[in-house]
Amino acid sequence: MQKNPTIYKEQQELPTIQRVVSVLWPSFLVASLATVLFFSLFDPADLGRLAGYPELTRTGGYTIGFFAFWLMTAISCGMTCYFRKPVHRPRID
Amino acid sequence: MSATAGKKPTVDQEVENELYKKRQKIYPREVHGIFARMRTLAMIALLGIFYGLPWLQWNGHQAVLFDLPARKFYIFGLTFWPQDFIYLALLLIIAALSLFLFTALAGRLWCGYACPQTVWTEIFLWIERKVEGSRQQQIKLDKQPMSARKFRIKFTKHLIWILFSLWTGFTFVGWFTPIHELWNELIHFQLGPWETFWILFYGFATYGNAGWMREQVCIYMCPYARFQSAMFDKDTLLVAYDEKRGEPRGPRKKSANPRELGLGDCIDCTMCVQVCPTGIDIRDGLQYQCIGCAACIDICDDVMEKMNYPKGLVRYTTERALEGEHTHILRPRVIVYATLLLILFGALVYAIATRVPLELDILRDRNTLYNETDEGLIENVYTLKVVNMTNRPQKFKLDVEGLKDAKLIARSDLIEAPPGEVVSVPVRVQVDPENLPQPGNDIRFHLESLTQPGLETTEEGRFLGPRPEM
Repeated sequence: MQKNPTIYKEQQELPTIQRVVSVLWPSFLVASLATVLFFSLFDPADLGRLAGYPELTRTGGYTIGFFAFWLMTAISCGMTCYFRKPVHRPRID
Repeated sequence: MSATAGKKPTVDQEVENELYKKRQKIYPREVHGIFARMRTLAMIALLGIFYGLPWLQWNGHQAVLFDLPARKFYIFGLTFWPQDFIYLALLLIIAALSLFLFTALAGRLWCGYACPQTVWTEIFLWIERKVEGSRQQQIKLDKQPMSARKFRIKFTKHLIWILFSLWTGFTFVGWFTPIHELWNELIHFQLGPWETFWILFYGFATYGNAGWMREQVCIYMCPYARFQSAMFDKDTLLVAYDEKRGEPRGPRKKSANPRELGLGDCIDCTMCVQVCPTGIDIRDGLQYQCIGCAACIDICDDVMEKMNYPKGLVRYTTERALEGEHTHILRPRVIVYATLLLILFGALVYAIATRVPLELDILRDRNTLYNETDEGLIENVYTLKVVNMTNRPQKFKLDVEGLKDAKLIARSDLIEAPPGEVVSVPVRVQVDPENLPQPGNDIRFHLESLTQPGLETTEEGRFLGPRPEM
């Protein structure tokens, strides 16, 4: 009946904090790194001008850049977690 | 297996239940002793640097400022630009290697004394203790139903925490934008929206991590805690309980002789568990939750002293020493880490010491390959970008080299560049076609400061002309 109950159990019973953290935290770290690398190459003021927002400050550019990166990396982490779920769910009674 | 599971929980299940149970708040008991004093010292030094250094001025600017809005970093007398990214990369590699080295030598020294999570948690615990009282008082208070008194105490604690967090957020932003200006904006309610956002964001992170998450950050979030087992070996310094000496544990009278009772030195007072900020029992052996803060060493030494037993039942030791062998400090991995670190550190110092704070970029006019002047000379047009990375205004003299009788025509003889600025200089270079051996030639621009002798640089460019007539 239960081929590999531990995997299912793990998915169900990982502490919520660990599930949230495993998506938001690695993505945060990678987004920080990406932000540093990206903005040491590109000046957000230049990018803002090119994109048609000349009034965008650099601090604003960094902030938007960081959260855009975080959103992307968080989606990626979230999908990894989602696809880790076993396809054939054993029934637990 | 499922048949037995219903009646009596197996060891596996107990472990599992332990892992999945809801987190219970840990109330670390206050501890005094040599390691507690060292932790306090480290805390004061590190927080002093964090909250104090941004206010220090140096030659008319903030001594240490990673000025993100202006895209330049000031570190005392030095100014760094995005072009200097290599130094930052080198510095980060050095920091990572140092962590490896210290981990191999001394285990979780970083976690116990220097990690921001530990340091801020300590200060939050200190505030909590000042407001709510000792461990026992805190446990009692939390068990009580909500009352006016409980509300007042909790409210005070969170208010102090939040104010402290906001100050932390403000200081954090002050590392990246000039803090004196930031302060002026703050007291005149003129803070920019992004600055406000980051103050609140970092403040919230501090409040959440140090007030609520605490040891869970180390257990669930810290990548270092997970991969450090790779850097550990049997000679790594760690906090451990001397099982041979302590067991069998048990309570006894102070006057009793434990040997006659068949007991070891551990009196099972559970003080080591009560002081542990991550809520583990050090007597269960090595655990990845242990951040090596040595609180259990201090408290156990106190107890041993009261019992008139020798200290060090829980102590800093190594696995090898516990087995009765000698600890080796110099081991291959330590030597490799140390050598790499020395080389990289030397490279960084050399690179910074010989760094020329001047950059010259040459952009050729892309619209035309070349012009012919009325006198029959071949002319190329360039835009020079001169980056003055020093902290004072400079006057530069420009020359061209590499082509015979090349004439340099610029708007003025001298290029003036204010400190920390990029100046665009359009120039024309004219060469007699007889002196052009091929259609594409190398040309060198030499820039030399008249204000600061020795500050000079040479940059190579291309000079294009017609195909020479045979």
